[in-house]
Amino acid sequence: MRLVRTLGLSAALVLGLLLSPAAAQAPRSVVVQTVTEPPGLDLTATPASATAAVVFYNIQEALVKVDRHGKLVPWLAERWHTTDNRNYTFFLKRGVRFHNGREMTAADVKYVFERAMNPETKHPYPGYYAAISDIIVRDDYTITFSLKSLNANFLLNLARQGSVIYPREAVDALKSEPMGTGPFKLAEWVRGDRIVLTRNPDYHVKGLPMLDRVVFRFIPDPNATLAALKAGDVDASLFGLGPEHVQELQKDARFQVIVGDTTNDVILATNNSRKPYADVGVRRAITYAIDKQDVLKGAMFGLGKILGSNVDPLNPYYIDVSGLMPYDPAKAKKLLVEAGYPNGFETVLKVAPQYYYTVRTGEIIVNHLAKVGVKVKIEQIEWGQWISRVWRDADYDLTIIGHAEAWDIANYANPKYYFRYDSAEFQNLFNASEVTLDDKARRELYVKMQRKLVEDAPAVWLYMHPRLVVAKKGIQGIWKDLPVPSADLSEVAWAK
Amino acid sequence: MRRYLVRRLAAFVATLFFVSVLVFVVVRVLPGDPALLIMGTEGSPEVAARLREAMGLNRAIPVQYADWLWRALRGDLGVSIQYDVPVARLIVSRLPVTLPLTLLAACLMSVTALPLGLYAATRHRRAGDYVAMVFSQIGIAIPSFWAGLLLILLFSVRLGWVQSGGFEGWSGGLWPGIRSLLLPAIALGLFQAAVLVRATRSAVLDVLREEYVRTARAKGVSEALVLGKHTLRNALVPIVTVAGIQLGQLMAGSIILESVFALPGLGRLALGAITARDLPVVQGVTLFVAACIVLINFAVDIAYVILDPRIRYD
Repeated sequence: MRLVRTLGLSAALVLGLLLSPAAAQAPRSVVVQTVTEPPGLDLTATPASATAAVVFYNIQEALVKVDRHGKLVPWLAERWHTTDNRNYTFFLKRGVRFHNGREMTAADVKYVFERAMNPETKHPYPGYYAAISDIIVRDDYTITFSLKSLNANFLLNLARQGSVIYPREAVDALKSEPMGTGPFKLAEWVRGDRIVLTRNPDYHVKGLPMLDRVVFRFIPDPNATLAALKAGDVDASLFGLGPEHVQELQKDARFQVIVGDTTNDVILATNNSRKPYADVGVRRAITYAIDKQDVLKGAMFGLGKILGSNVDPLNPYYIDVSGLMPYDPAKAKKLLVEAGYPNGFETVLKVAPQYYYTVRTGEIIVNHLAKVGVKVKIEQIEWGQWISRVWRDADYDLTIIGHAEAWDIANYANPKYYFRYDSAEFQNLFNASEVTLDDKARRELYVKMQRKLVEDAPAVWLYMHPRLVVAKKGIQGIWKDLPVPSADLSEVAWAK
Repeated sequence: MRRYLVRRLAAFVATLFFVSVLVFVVVRVLPGDPALLIMGTEGSPEVAARLREAMGLNRAIPVQYADWLWRALRGDLGVSIQYDVPVARLIVSRLPVTLPLTLLAACLMSVTALPLGLYAATRHRRAGDYVAMVFSQIGIAIPSFWAGLLLILLFSVRLGWVQSGGFEGWSGGLWPGIRSLLLPAIALGLFQAAVLVRATRSAVLDVLREEYVRTARAKGVSEALVLGKHTLRNALVPIVTVAGIQLGQLMAGSIILESVFALPGLGRLALGAITARDLPVVQGVTLFVAACIVLINFAVDIAYVILDPRIRYD
């Protein structure tokens, strides 16, 4: 034992001597914790947010970027122009190199999108590119996309995680060795334990990234995460901690707690095709019966924001409609009487404990609904079952889930989506918004859609799940809000 | 002995076959579709359906099983849906964590449980016995994941002696590897040791009441020899039986502890695969663990013969 200690001590001394010139500077690596290991690293094959957290913006990038404020900014394309909103010409940034050293050209861009549009490749979101009719390479740095029809979301779709640009020669290895133009390169993926990224020295943005090395460690258990933070084994937790841990860590001088906004709206979905929720009166009654403040306080320790409709606060067209149907149990009771349920009814709430907030939120809502005579039985089901039974087959009365995707109002215009909400008026508004390019007119349509959703109450929008980041003091540059499901670490650095 | 071995081998093959059919059917009957799980709530059901087709999940279950079995017989356990890596390679990559962890826990379990059980038996109904039994009761009552968290709090957060989790690998030498497995092995071995203490104590007590022990003592044989030679060896048969079962349980117990300590072991691989409906991996890991448990039982049977020459398999 003594021998081991002596050996260890001398090794530490030698190491310390070797590293002493560097030790004077701030460290250039961070270890971040994430909950789930990505199910493969191919953004063109999986919509998993665990994959996006590692790959999107760190390893691979798109022509257009959603920045930390939620704004669309030119990225791999340094600018674009269109005269008719049908033909978009992009001018690619010159000198952008893939991690294998080859320069990115327009041919790569064409290849990437044609591959995404090919049903054989099973890209998760072929719909994003459905409007494209033709892609024409003008020269190595100029490319034109022709659209079949007007598409207000075209640029946004090019900024999505499925639209990343990768070199054609790396296509077969995307799942395990993704290659791109990002600030970091994949160095190592130790399955089950960690993913290590190293600095891309040829990165096309001068001065970035600020770190030499990033380690993503997969720690599923929140208590273990807390311990790892306190023991100094991880420098930051980006997704792993719940609101119950935040208060304790806010008091701890070693850490900074970042509470921000996300696009994750937690909802109580009602099955609009099933009795009694087919009746809009009942759905409104449910909305009036739920005290969202109380839910937020009980389930999320007050962190997050109350929602009134599907559109989240990070969306530029967001308006606050949370006050339009406030908590009013008396009104809820009256509506239930009018709908023919003077004594309430019995119903089942299916939740998947994989997402901790669904169960907590459900338990509180059960009490609220009991006060107006609606007796709710909570049924906890495993995630795999949830996605088959509830999401695919719409075999449910009530369910609670967070919808993390940005700009997902389209789900309410799809009568086959598991809400089974079928309103011709809403669908018309949505379809119009998809082809309206004038910002002011489009905003008006979004306002109308939000109001229409409140009126029809196809779901109860409870709250926006907050972004909760805990990091050691001294780490700078972490995004406060999360307008896209990414963990962009290019600007993260230790304070000098 | 040869007939015994042949019988044993046949039982081994039959067990694996039975397990493989069971897992195959259960995993496929379970609601939950791997393609849907990959696509999540924002993907389109049409793409998921195409993915299902490509994964060969639309074929009849017996056809799928026959296909799987035919490949497995040639040593091909398929490719993981999640990781896109051959299942066999995935399992092998997790062994450097799970095997040492299990062995370490088993060692800790034996070196604490055997002496303590022996001690308790010799102090039957006296203070030492009660103290040992209270400790054992506590050990049984504490869930291993909680014990794991307490150990992390004490040794990593408070004292900073070891890392709070994760696995450093064996490339840096023996000690860093063992160091990252030490806490989980203690947490894992604790409960099993608590059970084994009781088994040891009662087995030893039984033997202590035997005539030959009284004879040995009457002959004037030293107490150490009485306990070590006459008692323990005879008590070992039931102890080994319990220990064998526990070795199997250690493998199962590692599923939870590997999550607490964020270790890339077999247990977490299995857990993740079940959640993601990564069927080839679930199948492969279950078969592997089943094979290990059958082998452990076999080893226990062989140990009987060595411990007690009166036992013969014919």
